[in-house]
Amino acid sequence: MSFTFKGGIHPYEGKELTMDKEVIEYLPKGDMVFPLSQHIGAPAKPVVKKGDRVLVGQLIAEAGGFVSANIHSSVSGTVKVIEPRLTSSGSKVNSIVIENDGKYESVEFVPNNTPVGELKKEEILEAIKAAGVVGMGGAGFPTNVKLSPKNADEIDTIIINASECEPYLTSDYRRLMEEADKVIEGLRIALRLFDGAKGIIAVEDNKPKAIKLLQEKLKDDPDIKVNKMKTKYPEGAERQLIYANTKRYINCKMLPADVGCIVHNVDTAYAICEAVREGKPLIDRIVTVSGDAIQNPCNFLVRTGTNFAELIEAAGGFKSEPEKIIAGGPMMGKAVYQTDIPITKGASAILCMTKDEVAENEPGACIRCGRCVSVCPGRVMPNALADCVEHNDIEGFLEGNGMECCECGCCSYICPAKRHLTQTIAGTRKLVLASKKK
Amino acid sequence: MSENLNLKISSSPHVRSKTSTSDVMFDVLIALTPAAAFGLYQFGWHSALLMLVCIACCVGFEALFQKIVKKKITVLDFSAAVTGLLLAMNLPPELPVWMAVIGSFFAIIVVKQLFGGLGQNFMNPALAARCFMLLSFSKQMTTFTYDGVTAATPLTILKAGGDVNIKDMFFGFTGGTIGETSAIALLIGAVYLLIKKVISPKIPLIYIGTFAACIAIYATVKDYNVAQYTLAHLFGGGLMLGAWFMATDYVTSPITSLGKIIYAVILGLLTFVLRIFGSGAEGVSYAIIISNILVPLIEKFTVPAAFGEGAEIKDKKAHRQELKEEKKAQKEASTDNEVKEKDKFDFKGIMKAIVAICIITLVMGAALGVVYNVTKDPIEKANEKAKTEAYKEVFPDAYEVRNPELDLTEINDVIKEMGYTHDTIDELNIAIDENKNLIGYVFVVTDDNGYGGEIQMVIGFRNDGTVTGISFLSINETVGLGMEATSEEFKKQFVGKSSTGITYTKQGAVLENQVDALSGATITTSAVCDGVNAAMSIMEALKGGATGE
Repeated sequence: MSFTFKGGIHPYEGKELTMDKEVIEYLPKGDMVFPLSQHIGAPAKPVVKKGDRVLVGQLIAEAGGFVSANIHSSVSGTVKVIEPRLTSSGSKVNSIVIENDGKYESVEFVPNNTPVGELKKEEILEAIKAAGVVGMGGAGFPTNVKLSPKNADEIDTIIINASECEPYLTSDYRRLMEEADKVIEGLRIALRLFDGAKGIIAVEDNKPKAIKLLQEKLKDDPDIKVNKMKTKYPEGAERQLIYANTKRYINCKMLPADVGCIVHNVDTAYAICEAVREGKPLIDRIVTVSGDAIQNPCNFLVRTGTNFAELIEAAGGFKSEPEKIIAGGPMMGKAVYQTDIPITKGASAILCMTKDEVAENEPGACIRCGRCVSVCPGRVMPNALADCVEHNDIEGFLEGNGMECCECGCCSYICPAKRHLTQTIAGTRKLVLASKKK
Repeated sequence: MSENLNLKISSSPHVRSKTSTSDVMFDVLIALTPAAAFGLYQFGWHSALLMLVCIACCVGFEALFQKIVKKKITVLDFSAAVTGLLLAMNLPPELPVWMAVIGSFFAIIVVKQLFGGLGQNFMNPALAARCFMLLSFSKQMTTFTYDGVTAATPLTILKAGGDVNIKDMFFGFTGGTIGETSAIALLIGAVYLLIKKVISPKIPLIYIGTFAACIAIYATVKDYNVAQYTLAHLFGGGLMLGAWFMATDYVTSPITSLGKIIYAVILGLLTFVLRIFGSGAEGVSYAIIISNILVPLIEKFTVPAAFGEGAEIKDKKAHRQELKEEKKAQKEASTDNEVKEKDKFDFKGIMKAIVAICIITLVMGAALGVVYNVTKDPIEKANEKAKTEAYKEVFPDAYEVRNPELDLTEINDVIKEMGYTHDTIDELNIAIDENKNLIGYVFVVTDDNGYGGEIQMVIGFRNDGTVTGISFLSINETVGLGMEATSEEFKKQFVGKSSTGITYTKQGAVLENQVDALSGATITTSAVCDGVNAAMSIMEALKGGATGE
């Protein structure tokens, strides 16, 4: 029996391109760019200035508030400038640019080998905070904040989201295959923060090797179980993942902690382990470089701040001219219009496509086939919500539970009329959220 | 980056499924092919011509309209072609081509484009056009030829109490519209649509199920052969075509899961009511377009609960404990996770929908009552007028026809004894000339053994007993067949007949007291002859009296 929920789609997975390719460490050559905002919350504040020499792992910007994260240099070199630079979000963000001297001189990391059971909670949270760990699935929520909910005594489940349901992406899978011990250790450290909490590692059933490996390693651990998830997109959507594993529902007004759950990405668990055990800050991650325009699709261990163009070059460059380059997965990733963009903590992939399926299909009239409704994991009616938006009926949009949309993209994917449903709904959600903040 | 890339950007998602609107519509066309091919095999080239004309006209009208109003021409999505083929499959095989053109115009321009084009029409265009044509060309739309002769459809026979061959109906060797006769060909198409996931089986199955249940109950109450009667209704008429291909029309059926169930149940009930209690034998088309109108209402009340709607934060521990126990129980029963989801039932929504539908029904009923009361008197007056006109027709020489209001009980007893068990003399009028001399009699006779029930006729006699003419006050026979009794040609045959025992023949009347039977409607002919004979037998007695005066 596989765990799952109602809805979802089965797009072309494309994982076979990189699934079995071992991670290659890539050492960057050019300038490194560290945006001060690569997490949710306040931007970090620079603690270096132009001309300063920095080392690998040195703090270059500190958290700018409670919900914020530290940023460290991933290379040794000199601070060239602090100026707005383009990021994959499409806007320019104030960034620290470091000229890489290619020596990779590092600050000394202090390991901590205390057994998990004897680690102090404050000690763990402090190490995670210092290392600048954020959610690495893409959203980039500071991990230490996530691990300090108001109702800490009510947390009974920590789920490691290893479903990796986005097509093409294999970075989490490679992390599991190559560093399963550290991922499990990261989860154990997180569980240490909540007395009596159990761990779940949720893996889609299209990764049988990973499931087998984890089960093997965890066969004597009663506190952590491996749940086999049905392969479909968006199996890894947080709310749906929690439901599938615990049968608890949360809506858009709630946090996972409200039903006693915390969800972490695989890479985040790994980063927790590195931060606590090695004292090493978050300065690298696995990035899948793939797509049909790439000569040699592969998985790289990439230092944050590395330029997209360098990575594409390292993957053999373009096989044929790409029409679209996506930062992240094809369902929720962002299309970029140039490649002079840095890898951030949340960047899981660079996909280069020879054909843009969106431009290829012109939207037509809704034929009310109901496909969008049947695939919607949020169980809303995307067609009706988009109609509300088109008629400027925000009230109708809210009544139709428009805010429950998680922008997963299933409706746009499945629509035979090729309507831009997700885009329409997501845009309106942003407007509503912005007007609430005022 | 020195490379000059020409990159496209757009909002996520960046991939799209391969299925497009035209694929969906093309699948429907493919699914209709077996039934259309069978129609062609069964009814010949004229049916092929009708199908081609309907498709060409629908596509053409759509393109033309979009050109005129300067909209994007979207005929390549095949939706107009689907409408055209569906319309043709709903037409009788011998329909004149120009009527099909008018039907296509109505479907595409009036029902579809004037309401905003694809996705905006509130009724199925093909069915709306069929109903429009049924009202406009009722005779041609209900004349079905099979094997070269005009014949009644199985449902008409069934309604008149006759027997039908279920096997022939299943394979389609019966009369009917071009595409509806073969249940098996339609089911093959339906299976194709189900496999391609173009339609969900929910609406057709619940629709057919509800209808079959109603029919079975009705058959039990009426003491018919339940299995035979139910199967005949399932394979007869447009049910299979309607349930699988038209009730499932995306645009005019509800999107919500619960809405689909309500819609299908309404369809089943309406079809049952229209087929059994309606004036016609068929009810699917009207049932579907009526239900189409209810769709926005049904959808409004069946909006599904969003994921996590109503999830509670407070009192979590107790809640969680509950869930845990539930999960345990669930595990023990080893039920699938997904099953529970489907069982969720929106009672509030369903109650709201039922109340709303009841209110609508009440209002409609009240409106109908008001209309009846308002129109009662005019209708009576019109009936009187019809009678006077019928008298004039059967007895053109009479100055006046008077009703002496005789008590006819004894006379009726007499004719029953004479063997005319199905006939009743309603009125015995006298015809007088300007000088108030009796010149003849005018009978109003009802025979209850017609094909479509009672036939009320008016028969005039001279004093010497010869028939001056016959006319019909109410007759409800099959259009194109029994209804031909009202033709001058048929009525003329009775003029001048003077002896009882008028018989009919199919080989051409030779004898003095013979008439030509209506082709394909011997039951009607026999009923009319019986009525005339009954009146004539009374006339025999009156003849003597009159001459003695």
